[in-house]
Amino acid sequence: MLAILPQLIYTGLGIGAIYALCSLGFVLLIRAANVVNFAQGQFSMLGAYIMLVLLVGVGVPYWAAFLLAVILMAGFGVVFAGAVYWPLRHRSQLAVIISTIGASILLPNVVLATYGPSPATVPGLFANPGFMVGPIFVDTQYLSVMVITVAMVVLQYVIFEKTLLGKKLQATSQDKEMASMLGISVAAMVLITFAYSAILGALAGVLVAPILFVSVGMGGTLALKAFAANIIGGYGNIPGAILGGLIIGLAETLGAAYISTPYKDAFGFLILLLVLLVRPRGLFGELIAEKA
Amino acid sequence: MTDITRRAVMLGTTAALAAPAILASTARAAETIRIGVTSPQTGAAAESGKYMRDGIKLALDAINAKGGVLGRKLETVVADDQTTNPGSVLAFSKLAADPSMVAFIGSIRSTQVQAMAPSVLKVAKPMMIGGTDPKLTHQGNPWLFRCRPNDTYSAKTIAAYGTQVMGHKKIALIYSTDAFGTGGHDALTAELKALGITPVLSLGYANQQADFTPMVLQIRASGADLITSYFTYETDLGVFAKQLRQLGVQTPWLGSPSIVDTVALKLAGPALYGTYGVADFTVDANPQAKAYAAEYQKQFKVVPDNQSSWAFDAVNILAMAIATAKSTDPKAIRAAILAIQGYKGTEGTYDFDKNGDGLHGYSVVQNKAGKIDFIKYVSFPKA
Repeated sequence: MLAILPQLIYTGLGIGAIYALCSLGFVLLIRAANVVNFAQGQFSMLGAYIMLVLLVGVGVPYWAAFLLAVILMAGFGVVFAGAVYWPLRHRSQLAVIISTIGASILLPNVVLATYGPSPATVPGLFANPGFMVGPIFVDTQYLSVMVITVAMVVLQYVIFEKTLLGKKLQATSQDKEMASMLGISVAAMVLITFAYSAILGALAGVLVAPILFVSVGMGGTLALKAFAANIIGGYGNIPGAILGGLIIGLAETLGAAYISTPYKDAFGFLILLLVLLVRPRGLFGELIAEKA
Repeated sequence: MTDITRRAVMLGTTAALAAPAILASTARAAETIRIGVTSPQTGAAAESGKYMRDGIKLALDAINAKGGVLGRKLETVVADDQTTNPGSVLAFSKLAADPSMVAFIGSIRSTQVQAMAPSVLKVAKPMMIGGTDPKLTHQGNPWLFRCRPNDTYSAKTIAAYGTQVMGHKKIALIYSTDAFGTGGHDALTAELKALGITPVLSLGYANQQADFTPMVLQIRASGADLITSYFTYETDLGVFAKQLRQLGVQTPWLGSPSIVDTVALKLAGPALYGTYGVADFTVDANPQAKAYAAEYQKQFKVVPDNQSSWAFDAVNILAMAIATAKSTDPKAIRAAILAIQGYKGTEGTYDFDKNGDGLHGYSVVQNKAGKIDFIKYVSFPKA
């Protein structure tokens, strides 16, 4: 059984990268708007459906459909912010959380009512599904997810830590009143954050679609793991979310192979529990102390 | 004073509005034989609910074109079950509240039949069902009649065909850990044991998996020469099939009916080519199915599957039972259904047993480059 270990590690990292990419959107909203968005997984689901409709329904070429889906979702992020967050921005964080939970129920049902329940498939980024490297089958779609996740992490890091926009976003998150007194347009910052977070969600959705298929339930499957990844890594911490995602992916894959398949989903959450017990602020968690 | 007048006016208006409806329904009840249908018009199975109603319509039109039953036309009344258990119970209550209802056609989903079963027992009128959980007809409810073979027979067929015809001895089993998958796992394990075989590998998985690599690698390492499966959702089956082929496993695969599901075929594509499955409805299995498929395709422009075929059979069986009973009395209809032997329907030959199970076998089919080829119908003596 040791012979299958390299393959398990590759797949575990691949699936972990998917969780990580999805959890980046979570982290962004937490950092910049102090919002826990329970509809984050539904951004992925919507993005995948938009791509599917453009590609199969309208007949738009692959890359155009891919990019259009991501761009349209940025617009949707702004609409989402206006409808779900903005009316409640002066209320407690709980009110916003409940509002996003509401959206996470509404969105899949709207898709169910308009598109129907039948899951569908979209082709991967590359015509070649994968190749062998020694004993490992390298799935090109998993590989793409890993590369794009790394790219997005770098981009996000640069934006947040090295640009004025990023500093403004962080300032808005930490103290809206102070930020607005300093001349930062809080409304603009919040809308930008939601748009970017929707882009990240959509990216995860269109990248995962060839692996998991496009289905109404796909958002829920991703969001729960992505949220757990965020907690394991440290609430609102970017490198933490990535590490958290990879840890869950590996724990699930190795746990299922060597311990038990029915409990595959439990292994990730078991690690979540352990982290909460031993290091409640997560692996890299310092942000909460910073804010307090 | 004004209050009383207003109330009187209200009552009068209500009565005046309702009267034609009440009169019409009494008149209609006198001339037609009414069958209540619970069917998903909304919710996750809304699409397959339409197939079911189309199948019922075909049977109904054919019967009524020949003058109906006992000189009366057949009529169906549909209530939306919303694809949920509470929705099914509500839909059934709504239908059953009408005393003119003679019999019912229920769900293809076992869990929803299970939810409605206590109400059906109370109402004490026959209900035709398509759910394949063996328990449904084995828990002392005399009013449920099944128009699909139950899961004991899918397990029997997989075990018998896989080991005796295909000649495999090292069996791997992968199954969903929900009620359907666990039931299939238990039944198949028992059937294999009766043949002296213990599966080399038995892997459960929770529904909606993102990745099946650990399962595929274990199957590859186990040296199994036949993969058997009970998948509930097409997406899980699709992910598993694709990863199975990507990781180079070409072991023969004989699966439960979901392996030939239209959606699964679309999702998995070439990854399912060459696989075998058991199916309760196949167009080429018998002349009745062929004729039904041709007519269905002519009217609705799609190829029918088991979502509609069982309901088509259900209407025909009810009509036949009412005709032989020469009555719409529930007990007389029940006796007449149980007496049906050798009736050739689209799903196979119906020999009702004392539990209310009409069918006792499955067809074995093979996916030949996306086309489902009928191989053989495997039937077992009735219980």
